[in-house]
Amino acid sequence: MSTATQDRAMAPAGKTGAPRSLARQQTAGRWMLLAPGVIWMMLCLVLPMLMMIYVSFWTQTTFSINSTLTLDNWAAFFSTPTYLDSLLTTVELWFVTLALIFVIGYPVAVYIGLFVRDKTVQTSLLVLCVVPFWTSFLIRVLAWRPMLGTDGAVNIILLKLGLIHQPIEALLFTQYSVVIGMVQIYVVFMVGPVAFMVSRIDRSLIEAARDLGAGTARIFFTIILPLSMPGIVVGSIFVSVMVLGEFATPSALSGDKVNLLGNIIVTQVGSLKWAFASVCGVILTVLMAITVVGLLRIVNLRREI
Amino acid sequence: MLEIRKVTKRYGSQTALDHISLSVAEGAYVSLLGPSGSGKSTLLRVLAGFEAPDEGQVKLDGRSLTTVPAHERGIGFVSQGFALFPHLSVFDNVGFGLRYNARKPLRDGVELRRKVLETLEMVGLAPYAQRQIQQLSGGQRQRVALARTLVVRPRLCLLDEPLGALDANLRQRMTVELRRIHAALGITFFHVTGNEMEALAMGDRVVVLDAGHILQVDAPDIVYNKPNSIAVARFLNRYNLFSGRTDSRGGIATAAGTIAAPQSTGPGQVSDFMDFCIRIDKIRVMPEAEAVSASQAALSATYITSEFSGAIITHLFRLADGRVAEVENHLSHRRPAEYVMGQRYSLVWPREDGIVFPVSPGAAEAAIRRAA
Repeated sequence: MSTATQDRAMAPAGKTGAPRSLARQQTAGRWMLLAPGVIWMMLCLVLPMLMMIYVSFWTQTTFSINSTLTLDNWAAFFSTPTYLDSLLTTVELWFVTLALIFVIGYPVAVYIGLFVRDKTVQTSLLVLCVVPFWTSFLIRVLAWRPMLGTDGAVNIILLKLGLIHQPIEALLFTQYSVVIGMVQIYVVFMVGPVAFMVSRIDRSLIEAARDLGAGTARIFFTIILPLSMPGIVVGSIFVSVMVLGEFATPSALSGDKVNLLGNIIVTQVGSLKWAFASVCGVILTVLMAITVVGLLRIVNLRREI
Repeated sequence: MLEIRKVTKRYGSQTALDHISLSVAEGAYVSLLGPSGSGKSTLLRVLAGFEAPDEGQVKLDGRSLTTVPAHERGIGFVSQGFALFPHLSVFDNVGFGLRYNARKPLRDGVELRRKVLETLEMVGLAPYAQRQIQQLSGGQRQRVALARTLVVRPRLCLLDEPLGALDANLRQRMTVELRRIHAALGITFFHVTGNEMEALAMGDRVVVLDAGHILQVDAPDIVYNKPNSIAVARFLNRYNLFSGRTDSRGGIATAAGTIAAPQSTGPGQVSDFMDFCIRIDKIRVMPEAEAVSASQAALSATYITSEFSGAIITHLFRLADGRVAEVENHLSHRRPAEYVMGQRYSLVWPREDGIVFPVSPGAAEAAIRRAA
């Protein structure tokens, strides 16, 4: 900004039609670079979002929809137990899934990032985590059915080992199967960012802490955990956004018994109830926004990465 | 009292330390000089407990440290990159070792605060206690690292190239600071450096390491004036080095010409291989025609150029074998002489100031084979 002012001050007074100042050209250049991204985001993100908010206030009748504004859809959502239950289930399964993903993914990430010294082995292990993604998403979800069913692989193995005497029926078509499926699919999104952050921790820090007399647990809680926090936050954002938007896994693994907000949206859109689907969409978006903003408050990502 | 006994450390086929033995008295300031790859950092890591030696042992006050893990040794280590905790403030960095010691953590907040601030005061950083590490300059980080190690009052403080990351000005100031802190605390300091002047300036004792072996352990003035091998003379960067064979008249025939050897050392048998060195500030430059007395040694050389650096001027001469010899003059002693570029002069020094090292037969043979 100061260079622009200087340029203007230095330009000979009263001379019109002079070539544009260098500073102004640079500003124009910067806008040109930004333009494609800004236009894309406007068309594909901001505009649809505004549309969604707008449509959520439209009047929905059984067979048609018109643009008369009303609060009925919102009132219906908050007064119908089915929808409130669905919101509650969504939040509940999201917390359980996120917690399990942290418990399972974090140790793996610390192992890869801290204990595997060879960079090649480190990369190979991370690639190994991504191998399941070579199969399509739906196949990965559906593959859990023969695993978890009453006559599924898990039950057969447990029976053979003598750990159980009757097959566990609760494994499939319940909340558990949905959680198991989502944990398996999304855990890698926690492992990646955490492993990245942990691998950047200078080993001399750990040596220094040890040299100053700190034990292993102390080093973990005072050095490794705080320094991997940005990875945990980024991983949690990835996982949260994806789990909150889920509809395929619950529908495939719960036999449509577990209905997340995503499933409600799919059903409503299927029966052309656009206004009501928009209400669910707005609520889901707000939930995600609160989550992301809340998580970003924990660490200053701009400083850490 | 620290005792290092026949410590050997290998990495694969590389031997980083080869049967190192050394004992260091309580409260000494030892500087460890060696080129990179000489094993000096490895020795520090073995002492700190980050690496286990393959053979030999380290004893502190008669107690073997072999089975004592790093965090129970009571040996402070200041690593080359300082290794400060980036997410903690200066205060919390310095307080770390007191607060989180596995054996006896300091839980009393008042006492902790007093000790941390006292140590920060000592390194001149008390006003910076609440700063983040990123807000500090290199020299300040260095002092935080030092304070963090010293606040727990280790028996032994290991400094791995502590001045390496600082600019020349700061290095000078930290040298003085380190000596002051050492004198105030009476802790044994082990200072690793690749800089010969730093090693000589800092240590009560200088240990010269090369390729995993200790070459010399002596007071700085002895190391400087009487290096015990051609390798030590080479590290000091203050000697012109020659090698050749003795002749029948008490000289050493080198590729640059025949040098009169000091009479006191008395060359061995004729045609023995000898290394020879003469310190660069012992040499005087004379016109080539001038006669040289029997107590002096002389070598003819061509003047190339001079490097002026304040109180000192270094003249560079080309020897007959094509190598460059340095001659250093202190300007406070005499008016700087003007030499003509490309002209031949005589480099003259008192015979007794030269130092002769007999070359072991094995090394001599290797030299011949390499030449052939």
